[in-house]
Amino acid sequence: MFARARSFVRNLLRRDRVERDLDDELRAALDLLIDEELRKGQSPTEARRLALQHLGGVESVKEQVRDVRAGAFFDTVLGDIRYAARLLVRNPIFTLTAAVSLAIGIGATTTIFTIANGLLLRSAVGVSDPGRLVDITRSKERGGPGIDPVSYPDYLEVRTRATMLDGVYGYQLELQPASLRLENNGAERVYPGVVTTNYFEVLGVPAVVGRTFGVGDSQEAGSSPVVVLSHRFWARRFNSDSGVVGRTLYLNGYPFSVVGVAREGFLGMTVVAPDLWVPASMVAALNPEFGERLLVARAADWMMLGGRLKPGASRAQASAEIAAIGVALAREFPVKYDFLPPGVGPTDFSFVWSAEPSSPIPSGLRVIVAGFLTLLMSIVAVVLVIACANLAGVLLARGVVRRREVAVRTAIGAGRGRVVRQLLTETTLLFALGGIAGLLLARVLTSLLVSLLPAFPLPVNVSVPLDWRVVAFSLAISLVAALLCGVAPALHASKADVVSSLKDDAPVPTDRLRLRNSFVVAQVAFSVLLVITAAILVRDVDRVTSVDRGFDSRQVDVASVNLSMAGYTAATGSTFTRQLIERVRAIPGVEAATLSDRQPDPGSMMMGGLTVPGVSPPPGQQYFYPNWNVVDSQYFATLRIPLLNGHDFTDADRAGAQPVAIIGESAAKRFFPGKSAVGQVVNVHTGSLNVPSAPSTALVIVGVARDLQVAPNLAPRLNLYVPMQQKYVPGVTILARTSGPASAADDIRAVVTSMNPNLPVLIAQTLDSLGRGPVEAQLRVAATVAGSVGLIGLLLAAIGIYGVTAYTVARRTREIGIRLSLGAGRRAVVGMILRQGMTLVGTGLALGLVLSVGVGRVLAAQRFGITAPGAATFAAATLLFIVVALIACYAPLRRATRIGAMDALRCE
Amino acid sequence: MSQARASLLQGTLDLLILKALSAGELHGLGVSRRIEQITGGTFVVQPGSLFPALHRLEESGWLTSIWEASENNRRAKYYTLTKAGKRQLGEATEQWNRVAVAMTKALEA
Repeated sequence: MFARARSFVRNLLRRDRVERDLDDELRAALDLLIDEELRKGQSPTEARRLALQHLGGVESVKEQVRDVRAGAFFDTVLGDIRYAARLLVRNPIFTLTAAVSLAIGIGATTTIFTIANGLLLRSAVGVSDPGRLVDITRSKERGGPGIDPVSYPDYLEVRTRATMLDGVYGYQLELQPASLRLENNGAERVYPGVVTTNYFEVLGVPAVVGRTFGVGDSQEAGSSPVVVLSHRFWARRFNSDSGVVGRTLYLNGYPFSVVGVAREGFLGMTVVAPDLWVPASMVAALNPEFGERLLVARAADWMMLGGRLKPGASRAQASAEIAAIGVALAREFPVKYDFLPPGVGPTDFSFVWSAEPSSPIPSGLRVIVAGFLTLLMSIVAVVLVIACANLAGVLLARGVVRRREVAVRTAIGAGRGRVVRQLLTETTLLFALGGIAGLLLARVLTSLLVSLLPAFPLPVNVSVPLDWRVVAFSLAISLVAALLCGVAPALHASKADVVSSLKDDAPVPTDRLRLRNSFVVAQVAFSVLLVITAAILVRDVDRVTSVDRGFDSRQVDVASVNLSMAGYTAATGSTFTRQLIERVRAIPGVEAATLSDRQPDPGSMMMGGLTVPGVSPPPGQQYFYPNWNVVDSQYFATLRIPLLNGHDFTDADRAGAQPVAIIGESAAKRFFPGKSAVGQVVNVHTGSLNVPSAPSTALVIVGVARDLQVAPNLAPRLNLYVPMQQKYVPGVTILARTSGPASAADDIRAVVTSMNPNLPVLIAQTLDSLGRGPVEAQLRVAATVAGSVGLIGLLLAAIGIYGVTAYTVARRTREIGIRLSLGAGRRAVVGMILRQGMTLVGTGLALGLVLSVGVGRVLAAQRFGITAPGAATFAAATLLFIVVALIACYAPLRRATRIGAMDALRCE
Repeated sequence: MSQARASLLQGTLDLLILKALSAGELHGLGVSRRIEQITGGTFVVQPGSLFPALHRLEESGWLTSIWEASENNRRAKYYTLTKAGKRQLGEATEQWNRVAVAMTKALEA
């Protein structure tokens, strides 16, 4: 065996010497035979002939020796590859187009896979033995996918009761921004993650400097003001200075001391990456609106849980135990969700608990993310199919051209398998080129796609590495594609009938034409599908984004502050906001500015119920529940929302003065049908709405504003606007309209910092650039992907149609020439060719339209807010393809009409 | 051609080559002539089978080769049995004898 292995290496590395040796040996044998014949008295020529005859052909013997050599198979494969590479280099245009179209198909699919890999398949980075980690989740028994966090008291129960888990940790899912201040510097915004003190221990994340949290950190509320920094934040903010341990920093004004820095690479367990971590006992400092209630109230659900499986325990066992604990908790501590007004939603839910494999996307959202990625993957897979169909067609055509070569090879003794292998090697080489180019393309596309996602207001931890899974994926997909589109043409080519193919003008077998035609039909069908899908998505983005939302979002800067971060109360906060808006309005270039509790969004804010004298609320409800908006004066002017009646709030509408309100158009119609709303009175009820008669305040209506169209297909809500000076909210959004395109964001930030250095500015973006929710972001990404691949598909289809038509013309040159010289009109010839091309396009088009109807239905059934495509879309797509097909047919047709009798004869 | 028959034929040729070389070194054509001679002309090994077999046996480590001057003063590649080749010849002969006895018995039964 060892000898054979040595030979293998020698054959491979010292090929030339081995070959020369064989050559010499056979020449020596031949000379010997010749000598013998000469001695027998033959003439030299005759001696040589007899010797050769005896030996049976030097080359043939050599070939047989080569076949038994160690690594013979490898050798022929190498030979095949060399031959294939020579052919590809000799046809650069063919090679380039084929490789580019493959690269696009493979690159696109790899890109989507990279993202799916990063979001769904990858395990957490920086933790030890991530395979043993589980996410503990609960979801509503009824209701779609979503996340249902757990309360802190429930967390403590789960942690005590779970026996299958080596520790249960918890963290706050929604990061709250906080103001960070070091001794003498101004405030900056950071995102602290609130975690239980065993978080790092259970995950197995050590500290690089100092320590992480441990048993020494008290779990008593407010008793352990310590933080652990993320490595990324430590490097960025503190230049990786180890001296940071022991320093004091202020979060929302509370002093915390830095105890350590977590291991590099660890950025938490979700796609949202905290800058630093704070123990759960300090949660009140970061969530001032809720305070220490977060540690005791069972209705306050803010934690995501996870744990590590005990050695020997399986996830299924742990999940069963967690489910049982969930049932027990619901029985022992029933929770009444009375924050929702009666009649608006259910007051208690039953939850199903389980332990799921740990993942950066919480399991409740995985379904949504996976669904979206499946949509994208389907779109790009179609491109790959088109590219493959295109290439298969080209390979088939090449097979026709090469049928003589194949026939020669068969005639001199190559088996059919050998020929197929050679042809497949060529295809595989082509796909390897395409695969490598695709992988490179995927790198570019991935960063492009990530940048397409809306700019997150949070620090995100989306790592989409090109790891071994991605490389394996693109390799596998290239190989599968190569086999799929290489096998049929190779089998066809190898079927060449030796005798007839060697004749000069053999007719091409018709089944090959049929195959070629069906590739073009498939290509057209799938391109139609892509183009229509793209049209549906683009139209939906348009519908979502270009709808007149009832306000003018252009040239409006948005910045938010949270007054509770700097310790303001209702009394001090009102003064601050009054001064703030005056100074913002004084900024040069600011045309109008206002304050609001939030930017205009599709969400609804509930701050209390409403009664209107003489009008009864909806059946079963005690109150109307309007959408509350707390706004400062000039809100309507800044956003250019027309006031239909009455007037705006004024500076006189302040605390202590007559409470006033402005209502929306729909509310005015609903509350005061047939009369003017201005001057009328509504009563607002705040506090607990479940007591029969909650205290109420009478508001005088001073104006009626046009309703905002916050989301398509949604009826306008009953809008209620109250002045900010009469209703304190700690979260304040500054909206400033500038007179020119220049942003005032920096000036606004400067104003806030100069007024209170402890108050960080949370968002500073323009209203236009703020996304309108995840649905729009998804649609935008999907539409961009589908739109660009739709174009590519169209291009590939055009190339396919051109190819088949050009080929037809070339094949029928003689026939056309004869027809023309016999007096057929050019018109008739054009008709003939066109009829053939258009039959293919028509068939593909019909198939594609049918496919699109199905896909449109499926998309509409998903939750992407997509409507089924209309007749106009289909008509437009049909027209587009006919035009493209005509353009693609133009050049071959021109050629066909110029064929003269001489060309036809020369063709012989 | 079935696997069994192929390996039987191959085994036979290998055994004959090893046997032919057991008396001393020979060049390629010499091997084929020696086989013809020792089998009384029953087996005539064509060069198309001979050279591949020689190379295969050499790669298996049973033969080694050396370039030497031939009878009429030409260079030729001479093959000799290696130690492993001699061992293989013994084993193969023994096995062949067993097969031959068994076959004879079977055909006489």
